[in-house]
Amino acid sequence: MIYSHKSPALLIIGILMLLWGWMNNAGTLDGMQGWLHPGAYKEHKQAIDKHAADTQAAAEKAAAEGQPAPEAKPMKPSKFDGTKAGQAQLAYILGGLFAAVGVLVLVLPKKEGHLDYYAGVVPGMAFIVGIACAVRWILDPMFANWGKAAQPTLGWDFAKIMNLNYVVLGIVLGMIIVNLLRIPAWAANGVRTARLFLKTGVVLLGTLYSAAELAQLGALSVVMIGIFVLGSVWLVLLAGPRMGASNSMTGVLSSGVGVCGVSAAVAASPVVNAKAVDIAFTLGTILLWGVLCMFTFPTIGQLLGMGPVQFGAWAGTGILNSAQVAGAALAFDPQGIETLKVAEIFNITRVLFLPIIVVWLAAWYVKREAGAQKVDLGKVLVAKFPVFVLGFLFMFLLSTLGMFAPPGHYQGKYFSSEQVKEDKLLKEKEIAALQAHLPKLTKPEETKALQDLIANRKLTSREQDHVLKGVSKAAKDDKAVKDAVGAANKAAWHDSKIIRAFRDWIAWLFAIGLTGLGMQITVASIKQAGGKPLIIGSVVGIIKAVGSLIVVLLFVKEFV
Amino acid sequence: MSEVAAPQARAAGLAWPPRALLLAHHGTAGAERALDLALSLAVPGTTRILHLYIVPDFWAGMQGDDWLNNAWTRDAFAEHVEGQLAQEARERMGALAARCTAAGVDSTPILRYGKPAECLVAAAREGGADLVVIGPPRPKGEPGLRSRMDLESLARGLAAPLLIAR
Repeated sequence: MIYSHKSPALLIIGILMLLWGWMNNAGTLDGMQGWLHPGAYKEHKQAIDKHAADTQAAAEKAAAEGQPAPEAKPMKPSKFDGTKAGQAQLAYILGGLFAAVGVLVLVLPKKEGHLDYYAGVVPGMAFIVGIACAVRWILDPMFANWGKAAQPTLGWDFAKIMNLNYVVLGIVLGMIIVNLLRIPAWAANGVRTARLFLKTGVVLLGTLYSAAELAQLGALSVVMIGIFVLGSVWLVLLAGPRMGASNSMTGVLSSGVGVCGVSAAVAASPVVNAKAVDIAFTLGTILLWGVLCMFTFPTIGQLLGMGPVQFGAWAGTGILNSAQVAGAALAFDPQGIETLKVAEIFNITRVLFLPIIVVWLAAWYVKREAGAQKVDLGKVLVAKFPVFVLGFLFMFLLSTLGMFAPPGHYQGKYFSSEQVKEDKLLKEKEIAALQAHLPKLTKPEETKALQDLIANRKLTSREQDHVLKGVSKAAKDDKAVKDAVGAANKAAWHDSKIIRAFRDWIAWLFAIGLTGLGMQITVASIKQAGGKPLIIGSVVGIIKAVGSLIVVLLFVKEFV
Repeated sequence: MSEVAAPQARAAGLAWPPRALLLAHHGTAGAERALDLALSLAVPGTTRILHLYIVPDFWAGMQGDDWLNNAWTRDAFAEHVEGQLAQEARERMGALAARCTAAGVDSTPILRYGKPAECLVAAAREGGADLVVIGPPRPKGEPGLRSRMDLESLARGLAAPLLIAR
């Protein structure tokens, strides 16, 4: 089979990316970048003016003293410069790679083999990468600006409330492309590699956990997932036959609704000999629920003032489809990936439950269905085991052994007094801002956390850090408070360069993967939602979402 | 009915009795009514019913956004779905062929994958259909797979007359 298409598309994507990098470096795009990043641009301009004024003052002073004008000091790169340089660097690397492969695609003869396979896949990968770049670099800041601009008229920031950040926009754009425009033939093979980006993102996530964090989140997720996954599987198995659903329909629905959505239904369908119509109804229902949850969960989480652990636990348990768990977590918390860290532990636990549930369903089906073929349970367990979880554990092991950051890094070593230098302690102006904010707090733990910060001029524990993150989030437009808490957080957390890079790559991998996954959600398949699966799935889905929300709010503390 | 309809049909410029009658049938209640209509119009020994069975293209998106499974599981799922669709098609084609045989009418099965209207227009053209018979749209709220026949595409694309059973 020939996979590649003789299309100049990959070369064009490569050239466009190279052009983007060059234009950023040359300053051609400064006007547009300034509009996209108004805050950073304003600071940048102020820094330029200040630098020019300092240089002139130094020159005038030297002239007054009869000295030659001193050599102008180079300006420290501003945040705005950093943004442009980061984009240019990535655009050069990816653009160069895509352009080179794009030339090969055009030059190489069409011949079956590995080379042809990769030539057929890379253009689609470039397609989703290019879209993810456009979303992250242009659409995300653009919507943020529009949200702020419309706030005086609407009374609310629609981009913020509707979580229109790079993750949601990427998925939505992916869905628009597949449903309205169609995926171009040259990109079709590569778009399916979206799952590779997501799995790689999960593997890299392994570097971000401390052993204590993983143990606590793991234990919490096993309890939550155990209750809600087993509970919802059991509920569907109970309700299905009572509502007159066939065994195969009940089987495929219970795995889909109970475990991890589409992936679970895909894994269980052959085992319970699901009929075509059962599969269509079930997958349509799950996809419909998944998309709805991805948009509603983050907004509800914001309205309820949930923190990363609570929201991650809720999304990881309550959202039927695992793909949308990652989407909702990043939609809720696009800047940091704390929520994603929590949610993905829940996702991984769900995935680890999958082989067990499939074996359970196989046994259940054989028992109830006369003439059903017995399944080799051992083979099912091995075949359904998610190998990428081993990659996650391997990266966690390397990280725990100190391969990527100094030992003690994850334990919050920089909270101790000796590790925070005097110049990193909060300044008087910042303390004053925090003191002014103190009377506005209503929760005792928040008041105490802020009082301690004011007294120590630094954070002293991870718990305090978590509480104050909530305070900062609730401070909304009080920039001074946000900056002060941000400065204290920055002084306490010393990420190694490698860990910082991992965080950045993880955000990119998920953004690219979710954009590609959006291209696999077709309205035609969502429209198949119907029949008994829609009724049973909706009832169980609501019970699971509401039940897990109540449990999380009552029992899950923000600090793990 | 064929004899009664013949003069009017000929007057309207239709080939009558139809030699190749294309029937879109996939086992729903509406399609059964279309089959009844087709059999009432068919003339044994003259008319051949071309039974078009369409597997709608929404099945291509039925792996949805599955990202957790390995290639083995996805392939097993794809094989399972293909097997189920093939079995369904065989059963329905066999049942229709049996009805035609019982009525003394020859039939030829045609299996297509794609958008229903596009498949029907192509099958009618390739099979040289004199007449096309389809069932009515499924009433709203009735359960079933969502894959509607786009009537505008049929009206624009078909060279043969189209009959919709009520």
